[in-house]
Amino acid sequence: MNKKWAKFLVLPLMAAMLLAGCSNSNNGGNASGNASGGASVAPEDRPATWIADRKIKGLVFMGTDDYTEDMNPEIKAEIKKRTGIDFEIEIMKASKSIDGLVAGIAANDLPDFIAFYLNNSGRPEMQVVLKAAREGIFTDLAPLMKDTQVYSKYLQDDYLPSDTKYGVMFRPEFDGSAYFIHMNINRQGGYDSRKYVGGPYIRKDIADALGVDPRTIKTTDQLYELAKKIKAGGFKDSNGKDVVPIGPNYWGGQEIGRLFADLEWGEDGQWIRPDDEGKVLHEAQTPNVLKKVEYVQKLLAEKLIHPEFFTVDETQSTEGALNGTWGIIANMHNYQDFNQDMHYLPLGPLNGLDGEFQMQVAFKSGYSAWAIPATTKKPEEVMQFADYLASREGKLLWMYGLEGRDYTMGADGFPLVKQEVIDLKATDSNAAKALGFGGVRNWWGELLGSTDIDKMADFGEMEYGEKLQEATSQGALEIAKYWDWDAKRQQANVFDAYSPNAFLGEFSKGAELKAAFDNYRDSLVKAYYSKSLDNAKQVLDSALKQMQAAGLDDYLKLIEQKNADPHTKVSFRAF
Amino acid sequence: MKQTNIAPALQSPKRKLWKDMLKHRYLYFMLLPCIVFFIVFSYIPMGGLLLAFKDYKFNKGILGSPWIGLDYFQTFFNSYQSGMLIKNTLIISGMKLFLYLPFPIILALMFNEVRSKWFKNVSQSILYLPHFISWVVVVGLIQRILAPDTGLLNQFISGAGGDGSTFYMMEPEYFYQIMFGSHLWKSIGWDSIIYMAAIAGVNPDMYEAAKIDGAGKLREVWSITLPSITPTIVILFILSLGNILSAGFDQLYLLRTPGNMHLADILDTYIIQIGLQGGQYGYATAVGMMQGIIGLILVVIANKISRKVSDTALW
Repeated sequence: MNKKWAKFLVLPLMAAMLLAGCSNSNNGGNASGNASGGASVAPEDRPATWIADRKIKGLVFMGTDDYTEDMNPEIKAEIKKRTGIDFEIEIMKASKSIDGLVAGIAANDLPDFIAFYLNNSGRPEMQVVLKAAREGIFTDLAPLMKDTQVYSKYLQDDYLPSDTKYGVMFRPEFDGSAYFIHMNINRQGGYDSRKYVGGPYIRKDIADALGVDPRTIKTTDQLYELAKKIKAGGFKDSNGKDVVPIGPNYWGGQEIGRLFADLEWGEDGQWIRPDDEGKVLHEAQTPNVLKKVEYVQKLLAEKLIHPEFFTVDETQSTEGALNGTWGIIANMHNYQDFNQDMHYLPLGPLNGLDGEFQMQVAFKSGYSAWAIPATTKKPEEVMQFADYLASREGKLLWMYGLEGRDYTMGADGFPLVKQEVIDLKATDSNAAKALGFGGVRNWWGELLGSTDIDKMADFGEMEYGEKLQEATSQGALEIAKYWDWDAKRQQANVFDAYSPNAFLGEFSKGAELKAAFDNYRDSLVKAYYSKSLDNAKQVLDSALKQMQAAGLDDYLKLIEQKNADPHTKVSFRAF
Repeated sequence: MKQTNIAPALQSPKRKLWKDMLKHRYLYFMLLPCIVFFIVFSYIPMGGLLLAFKDYKFNKGILGSPWIGLDYFQTFFNSYQSGMLIKNTLIISGMKLFLYLPFPIILALMFNEVRSKWFKNVSQSILYLPHFISWVVVVGLIQRILAPDTGLLNQFISGAGGDGSTFYMMEPEYFYQIMFGSHLWKSIGWDSIIYMAAIAGVNPDMYEAAKIDGAGKLREVWSITLPSITPTIVILFILSLGNILSAGFDQLYLLRTPGNMHLADILDTYIIQIGLQGGQYGYATAVGMMQGIIGLILVVIANKISRKVSDTALW
């Protein structure tokens, strides 16, 4: 009988163990901070970079492609040797990074630091972390930054761009406190890490056959005529199928402002700018939008543009570009591997609403951010560790790997990448990634260390291994030369300003207006596919009413007020 | 004497229950994990419904956050989208509940009449298979089949001399057909299983008796099979009423395009977009709770009606 009892007792016991096993342990995150937050025991011969003998664990709410959770053991040991820190990252997997961020913060079980996307204060993540900061979830980082080498620069008056300073970090409501560190700030204003040429590209053989210099295409009317010629030319792709005159964006269907530049009311996706009298308006409030709709409807009706231009998925879009199915690719850039032989050439650039094209260069701009939860013990050690990773020595470690193993130090004091690493990267990218540093596309160090960027000054090259592999980006530079990049850069407008949507967070009906803006974006596409211009107008009028019900007019007034304040200038120019 | 007589009479049901429980103790032990499972995963999370009445603060948790009454419900019903969302949800779930209902039953009846075992097995497997394919793949297939110019359907139309450039996914007039057709294709096989099980439980003697009385196949189906499985149909229908305001997130989220969004936006997609992606847990909970409460009320009403009309009921 006893044996029988034992048998049946096993069942609920197993169930209990199963439940316990499935439930998430709460002590995984903070335990590291707690356990390690105690007395640090440093070895006698500790280096000057020593911080503490502890573990620092981060939770990353960003895509999984750029990092590996398992760090290279040799790199990890080197970090430990230099700083005493046992560094670990965990990537929060979610279909959308913001979903993971919301769930992670709500769980209130965060490790020593978290990292998340944050291009600017207008990005949706900002509302989530702002709410968390207001509710005391994060540590005030401003006092911790004072004693650092790199991050103390953030406290200087002219170092940070306006949005980073007033919109993200030192918001007036926080009264001198800062709860997030905005990353990827360039050391110099107007610094260009690459000679990017983005926008529409045309197949060179088609342009040659038609006798068209792509650089002479400046207006949407000229683009229309060109598309008609491509269609009439009967060109074929690499599979022998008919070429589509205007194909979608290389990375998947969406509206591409640069393709319709002289019809685009401000930056695509925002569509806000002042009219001729200086009154800030949304595109839907202007007759301009119907001109654009009419133009796109004409392209669709005459089959000059891909029928799924705005909705096609990335796989098909990229496949079409690689097969040469798109006579014109709506948007790509000059550093893409498939085009280093320049079989696609940049088109235009097309003029904007304000007249002739002018390159727009951000004075500085941030990208991604991190924060330290209030529960982290000794947050100053996390800040010191971030400061170490942002120093030249730290950057050298996470960008170039280990001296001797991955690079040698040249006589000029700059690293010289080993050829075998470059070869491994080309032949087996996963094996190269396992070496565990940024140059081989394992960017764990970016999370805390990628800021105060000046690669040329620090490493003598703009890109990792550039000195060895100049030939690989030769095509990109040739395209830049063809496009007359240097001259355009000289004429560029260097701006330090907010984007129009950056103030949604502080706007009382921000969430509703954001939803109405999203609805407008979809309604615009719907209008393109409407049977007539009248139908399109009805669709757009309805979307405008929704935006107005959500407070559009007040928001536009707010933008005008912000633009009048020198601390919060707004940039309305698109490119 | 009286007392001793009354006491056993009053105590007997309780004592009987305990006696029965002791007698079947092993079975009760086996039931325990199931009860624990429901308590942990279904009843304890119901506490989260408090969020629908609270302004959730990250640092204060559900219990510590301040009460805000019915604000979220007011916000939802004042929203310009609420009418459209409720209408779309009711139309789509109504189609899936009422219009769809006979299809798996008809399929089960058809399978029941198939005599070749080999053919029955093969065709059943083919029809069950779509259930195991995720909506992402199904909608991907639909998109390719219905693509303008290059899609299978448009190629066929242009081959037959038609235009062949219709962008079906963007045209609102094709939305319900695509939505219902794909739901039917994916679910019909799997949903027919339970009806087939019910049909298998019908007493064969009744068919024998009907045959002797001269009944044909159709008469057998109409007079024996259908009445025999009616309780199953009714119970499944009552249970599915609970989901009337939940029209199926995956399918609708993926089928949604700018062209059909005014028909495809439903409460489930709204909860994800506004509530979870925007971090407004309380709001999302309030809308979700509303779906649940309306579903519960409908189930209770349908159960009462069913009990009165047909003697078949959940409780």
